[in-house]
Amino acid sequence: MTKAPVNTRASEKDSSLDVEESGFNNFQKHTLASLLKIVFRHKWPLCVGTAMVILGTFAVLMEPRIFGYAIDEAIIPKRMDLLEKTALVFLLATIVRIFAAIKQGYFFELLGQRVTQDLRVMLFTRLQSMPVSVYDRNPGGRLLTRVTNDVAALNEMFSAGFLSMLCNILMVAGILAWLIFLDLRLGLIASSVFPLLVVISAYFSKRLKIAYRDSRSRLSSLNSFLAENLHGMRIIHLFNRQKLHLERFNRLNQWYAEAQGGSVRVFALFQPTITVAAGISIGLTIWYGGLATLDGNLKLGVLVTYFSLAMSLFQPVREIADKWNIFLSGMASAERIFSILEWEPEFECTSFARPVMPLAGVQGHIVFENVWFSYSPNASAVTDLTDSSDVPPDLRVSWVLKDFSLDISPGERLGVVGHTGAGKTTLISLLLRFYEPQRGRILLDGKDIRSYDKRSLRASIGIVQQDVFLFSGSFQDNITFWQAGATEAVTRFFSQIGFRPKFDKVLQERGSNFSMGERQVIAFARAMAADPKIWILDEATANMDSETEALIQRALNRATVSRTSILIAHRLATVRNADRIIVLHKGNLIESGNHETLMSENGLYARLYRYQIADPTSVA
Amino acid sequence: MLEGTSKRLSKYFSKFLNDSSFIRHYLWKYRRWVLIGLFALIVVDLLDILPPIFLKYAVDIAVEKQPTRLLAIIALAYFGVSLLQGVCRYVWRMYLIRASIFAGRDLRGKYAHHIFGLSVSFFDHRRMGDLMSLAINDVEAVRIAVGSGLLVFADAMFYLLTVPFAMYWLSPWLTLLVCLPLPIIPLMVLKNEKEVNKRFEEVQACFGRISAMTQESLHGVRVTKSFAREDVQIQRMREIGEEYMKLNLGLARIQTAIGPFMDFCMSIGMVLLLFVGGRSIIIGSVSSQGVAIGLGTFVAFQRYIQKMVWPMAALGMAVNYYQRSVSSSYRLKEIFKLTSDVPNAANPILPKECKGHVEFRNLSFRFPSDPKIVLKDINLTIEPGERIAIVGTIGAGKSAMLSLFPRLYPIDRDMLFIDGVDVNDWPIEDLRRQIGYVSQEIFLFSDTVMGNVGFGLNDWIEGNDPGVPIEEAARVAALHEEITGLSSAYRTRLGERGISLSGGQKQRLTIARALAKKPSILVLDDALSSVDVQTEEKILKGLLARPGRNTEVIAAHRISTVKDADKIVVLNQGRIVQLGTHQELAAQRSGAYWQFFEQQQLKEDLESYENEIQQ
Repeated sequence: MTKAPVNTRASEKDSSLDVEESGFNNFQKHTLASLLKIVFRHKWPLCVGTAMVILGTFAVLMEPRIFGYAIDEAIIPKRMDLLEKTALVFLLATIVRIFAAIKQGYFFELLGQRVTQDLRVMLFTRLQSMPVSVYDRNPGGRLLTRVTNDVAALNEMFSAGFLSMLCNILMVAGILAWLIFLDLRLGLIASSVFPLLVVISAYFSKRLKIAYRDSRSRLSSLNSFLAENLHGMRIIHLFNRQKLHLERFNRLNQWYAEAQGGSVRVFALFQPTITVAAGISIGLTIWYGGLATLDGNLKLGVLVTYFSLAMSLFQPVREIADKWNIFLSGMASAERIFSILEWEPEFECTSFARPVMPLAGVQGHIVFENVWFSYSPNASAVTDLTDSSDVPPDLRVSWVLKDFSLDISPGERLGVVGHTGAGKTTLISLLLRFYEPQRGRILLDGKDIRSYDKRSLRASIGIVQQDVFLFSGSFQDNITFWQAGATEAVTRFFSQIGFRPKFDKVLQERGSNFSMGERQVIAFARAMAADPKIWILDEATANMDSETEALIQRALNRATVSRTSILIAHRLATVRNADRIIVLHKGNLIESGNHETLMSENGLYARLYRYQIADPTSVA
Repeated sequence: MLEGTSKRLSKYFSKFLNDSSFIRHYLWKYRRWVLIGLFALIVVDLLDILPPIFLKYAVDIAVEKQPTRLLAIIALAYFGVSLLQGVCRYVWRMYLIRASIFAGRDLRGKYAHHIFGLSVSFFDHRRMGDLMSLAINDVEAVRIAVGSGLLVFADAMFYLLTVPFAMYWLSPWLTLLVCLPLPIIPLMVLKNEKEVNKRFEEVQACFGRISAMTQESLHGVRVTKSFAREDVQIQRMREIGEEYMKLNLGLARIQTAIGPFMDFCMSIGMVLLLFVGGRSIIIGSVSSQGVAIGLGTFVAFQRYIQKMVWPMAALGMAVNYYQRSVSSSYRLKEIFKLTSDVPNAANPILPKECKGHVEFRNLSFRFPSDPKIVLKDINLTIEPGERIAIVGTIGAGKSAMLSLFPRLYPIDRDMLFIDGVDVNDWPIEDLRRQIGYVSQEIFLFSDTVMGNVGFGLNDWIEGNDPGVPIEEAARVAALHEEITGLSSAYRTRLGERGISLSGGQKQRLTIARALAKKPSILVLDDALSSVDVQTEEKILKGLLARPGRNTEVIAAHRISTVKDADKIVVLNQGRIVQLGTHQELAAQRSGAYWQFFEQQQLKEDLESYENEIQQ
């Protein structure tokens, strides 16, 4: 066996989610393009918004010109009537500008909201189509952060005017063109500093990006240090390490403050350059424009127009600089979201568009054929299947199932017994294709389960899972998964076990208002809904009151009639009546037979049984 | 009536003093930085009055055909002012914002300092997320008020105190006229604030629902997948997302209108300027009355009106920053009010000799947060060198009893004596140094194996040599061979970015960690539960032989762990019900220990059979 690098597991975990470190540098183009592709999907708000920007920009350009016109044509020639008219036109231009600004803000917000909603649904859809192993590897908290915080950061980016920022670029271009159009030479002089400004901004944006990344990564080390210490506070107290850890915290805190200070310094240098550039530009305008006006080559009103426009030229630039930070963190979030959208799903997301159909005509003949399985990610690379003791323990593959074979005939009621970790639940996970075995295969009605559609296969198997997971919704929602009305199979099942459901009872905080019995019944009814031919019980270990116990027993007896049933039992009373009981021990099938034969063999089953009788609270 | 007003005023004032205590504290602490920053800010704002006046002169020169030399001077002056403003902007950012960063750092440090000083009972009932949020979000809110809040407020005030005067100087009546619409701005902002806040809260609540829904569907992913109902979850997410979108748009409808509205108020002033001001120029040049304005003033006013928008908006921002910081400082103050419930002894007494003698005298105990009494009338003496085992069902009080040794929770006086000294009189650090306490919950730091085992050693050597005490402790915990088998031995990293050990290995590591500091009393609270029987035997033997061995107190569920102890204490509902050696207790057929024993026998039979299958 070849030795893999030591921290395979760790590095794999890192590569899957921590784009923050590696991907922050080279995000822009690719991410921006993907983001804009989604923006362009929403043509209507995009067109209206853009039209409003153009209208608004036009009004912004016109206002100073009207002002200048008033000076030249009305005030200097003393034409009162024209002054009134220009004042009215100015008012009109203002109203147009304000109207355009309000509408533009609204439609761009609408666009931003639609885009984030699209991304939220896309991301969520992708997560739902991920194989279960992804959820084993990535702590729920991190995935949650992607769907909530990262999408929220994007939302903020749009709300703070990501789109208006793009519009500001349009505005700058418009002003430049207008300046040059009004007077070529003065226009060129007023905008002469502009190329310099672009170069300076590009330089500072690069430095800002580095500075922000720095302070973000230092903040995250500070946070993880604090989080770890809060969790381990008891140990810190017991070992008198408070002072030492506080010192470490202060070092990290100082280190973070320094990074923050660093980004302030970059920003503090950046902003004044805009002020100074504006000063140069307007100073030149005063000088050159004033001379031209004195010579009579330039009208005074045009000069005043220039003063206004040259000042508004730098306003959008300043805004872009101000919002750069929000833009950067939004883009970093977008980057992380898009990286998840590239993960390999277990089936196409498009398959969610049509409702899933269970497989037709299932007999329920299940065969496990020499199955080897391990959860370890290295396992598929392992060629030598025996445990080799010369491998360091952190690299050793632990097999959950070792050369496991089993034939379950249609309609059989099979009990599976064994300790935690014996491989019982794994059997079910493999049958549902949550994981693929490294070796061997599983057959359903003589065909490899890999040849069926994954979702159809799952829909054909009714399963009652260990912990009854309740979704926030009503009793009915939890059984039918938000479909209208309970199926005939479910209502029949309820009447058979004598249970009167309160279908519209709504789940409260963490299901506290649902009794143990109700929870169990929900789990059974969920599995019954499609009237499946194969039926699986992965029994909960919790203690139950006798009423619930009786209810479950009735449900169990009903559910197993004329179905292939696999009962994974912790309490051996559950499997006593099974047609066949198998005992698993560390991935090996060690005993098989019905209750009586197993008891007479006096093996593991018999001992487990005696132990449970002596102590009813314990479970196998 | 006057008295009532002054009373109310003084009430508001004291509320303000209380609300702003952090802000004032840090502004005072960094007063030099703040003063320099504010000075630079004043310079920027004062200089900002000049450009419109320059424009006025430039226009006047152009109109009145004055010498061109003056034009060049004005152009240069304009540039000079911009340069000076640029420098001062750099200065105020560097001083004001950085002062706020220092304040944030200090407040975060103060918070950490306080948190590290609180006893473990504080952490038992807090959500980690809340404690983290205090350190991050609430500190940040105060920091922003100190930095940006002060900045925006001061900036607005300077503008309001200077620009109108400059305008007034140019033309008093025109100033009053064009500023007429401006006071509507703060009024409108205040009027809409309530509605904005309401809608904002709705948006926040919906965001909470999205988070909850996401969390739920991620947790329930196995259920969803095994029923192939992913589409339903996606539909639910789509619907709640749509709702969120609608609420956001409702908020945006108001918020996107506020900015343009302010702009509009300014523009009305501009129209008034154009119409009335223009009129005055036309009339004035005819009649040359005192009230008339020149063209230059006209142009300067255009610029001044534009400058008046910002301070109006800035006041609103400043109020917002301040309010956020107030609620955050109250949350922080709540924490700062708390003190440790296990304070260090006022007059500490150090025993002559630390040999591991323990005495419980009529001890009763309850956890600080719970009125239920968990231990009652405990009388027990443990001689140095003895091994005491404690058995009992879950909830019998074993863990509570053991947690008293290192004084994790407060105990009354004269109840627990270690080496003849009341635990309340021990210097707390010395007490904890004497006691190697291993709890049943396993916590390791994301550090190397060496760092974790040597956690209690203040001076373990950093280097490739694991050091004698570390290796020794690992040997006793039957871990040394496994560690050397790891790919980087003692340098192997654990936790988030390293390897994960098995449950049993982790547990033995926590034992090694306690042993490394060579405690005179070793307390194991069910700390061998994940270790198999053979290894356990090895560890228990090793403990007897460990250098400087003293007292051991072991709580356990397994017969094999307790049967060789010098004394076995059987706890039931917080009381000692039986006390004796294994032989003595096992002989009492009706006792609690007998039941425990019988059941364990069956279990051990089961386990030994399993080991047989194994081989």
